[in-house]
Amino acid sequence: MPNVKIDPNDVMIQLRGLKKSFGRQDVLLDVNLDIRRGETMVVIGQSGGGKSVILKHMIGLLQPDGGEVKVDGVTISTPKFFDTHTIRRKMGMLFQMGALFDSMTTGENIAFALREHHPELSEKEIQDAVTEKLEMINLKPEFRTKMPSELSGGMRKRVALARAIALKPEILLYDEPTTGLDPITSDVINDLILDMQKKLGVTSVVVTHDMVSAFKVADRIAMLYKGRIIEVGTVDEIKNTANPFVHQFITGQRKINVEDNNQ
Amino acid sequence: MILLSPAIWIGRLIVTSIQNIGEIVMILLYTIRTLPHAFKHSGLIVRQMIEIGVSSIPLLFVTSIFTGMVATVQAEFQFRDLVADKFVGTAACKMVLLELGPLLTALVLAGRVGSALAAEIGSMREKEELDAYTVLGLDHYRYLAMPRLVAFATMIPCLTVISNALALIGGWIVCVLALNITTYTYYTGMQYLFNTMDLFTGVIKSFVFGTGIFVLGYYHGMNAGSGAKGVGIASMNVVVASCLMILVADFVLDALMFY
Repeated sequence: MPNVKIDPNDVMIQLRGLKKSFGRQDVLLDVNLDIRRGETMVVIGQSGGGKSVILKHMIGLLQPDGGEVKVDGVTISTPKFFDTHTIRRKMGMLFQMGALFDSMTTGENIAFALREHHPELSEKEIQDAVTEKLEMINLKPEFRTKMPSELSGGMRKRVALARAIALKPEILLYDEPTTGLDPITSDVINDLILDMQKKLGVTSVVVTHDMVSAFKVADRIAMLYKGRIIEVGTVDEIKNTANPFVHQFITGQRKINVEDNNQ
Repeated sequence: MILLSPAIWIGRLIVTSIQNIGEIVMILLYTIRTLPHAFKHSGLIVRQMIEIGVSSIPLLFVTSIFTGMVATVQAEFQFRDLVADKFVGTAACKMVLLELGPLLTALVLAGRVGSALAAEIGSMREKEELDAYTVLGLDHYRYLAMPRLVAFATMIPCLTVISNALALIGGWIVCVLALNITTYTYYTGMQYLFNTMDLFTGVIKSFVFGTGIFVLGYYHGMNAGSGAKGVGIASMNVVVASCLMILVADFVLDALMFY
């Protein structure tokens, strides 16, 4: 578990009464969650339950049907104009499949946003930054010339992480960072998530259903069930939960065993 | 309720159509808004121009030559014994410059590059690349849409001019080799009733067709369903929508320019 001092009253991301439907399907009914500055919050829940939808609301990719999303004190869930640019500059996101730009090399992917947002940087400074980010994710500088199609799933995610941290964000969002990876590669990604928190001091939100990963990286875990957050707690609190649904999920049981849970 | 259902269906159709048209117009406006950055991203524009323009020339070469040949053979066959041979060249030139050139080029390119655009954008959306642009604080209209709009709107008129020339060469070949019409007669016929505005009319039409194919391709890509099937359907839809757009726009533009 990470060892970073976190102030419980310093909330970085706040979700209040978040509602979202797609057509007739209600995905989020009433999501309330506070994410503290500097902590790693892991959101767990069933596949298709709306975890990624929560993440997309946090970065303004989706607008809620109801409720409020505040990032660093700024309400971003409003149809009125708000400074998306400033808010997004504080955030980085690792997408489920990496979402690397296929037509660019690894180095160009990492340098792209840097080049566009900081035209004052020289080419040497940009290349130095690319090398630094590649080193942070434990990849050799030679990887900068590889195309995304030449990388394995784990490497793609690592490069996507390097791209996400290129603009030095304060918040990092991880969408299923270990999905589709073998256990060892998953552990490499878990270590990188921990590294990012230690080295960059970022607030992290990880969406996953991989409990090994969740227990390793989380300061706190929130369980999403049927459109609501039904429990929030530290790793130990979640492991010893009295909530049968949370217990069922973290132990991977098909059916709820109430007797087991009461023992 | 059963009696109401057609009314509900029609109502939904109207609302959806207005919504779709609104979205298409917004895509075009968002893209036009990023045009001042065109010089900064000239590399991206050139890459698209090569993909859309240069790579389409072999296909266009075959279609244009044969279209010119067929049009000329038909003109000669229909006019035989009615008018002088030189009018075969006149008819071929008018047909090609005003209608066949721009229309066929646009239809061929709708199939080739329009569907490819929808598939590419659909696949990028599926792989969350479009979201990645947004998350990085970058506008995908500026990096993806604008270079393609410029390439479509400039290369399709250029290809139309090339297609016109190839079709007229096709007509000349068939005249000399099969119809017993001399080069001089064909050339004189082409010059007769030739108006420079005919050429510009075709170019203006193809500019509109090119812009239309781009915006429909981007729209269908952005709204593609998930998976290979979704992307496939989007590609098919853009070809159908583009063909309809080209035919309707051709009629409207003719009405505006000639009446």
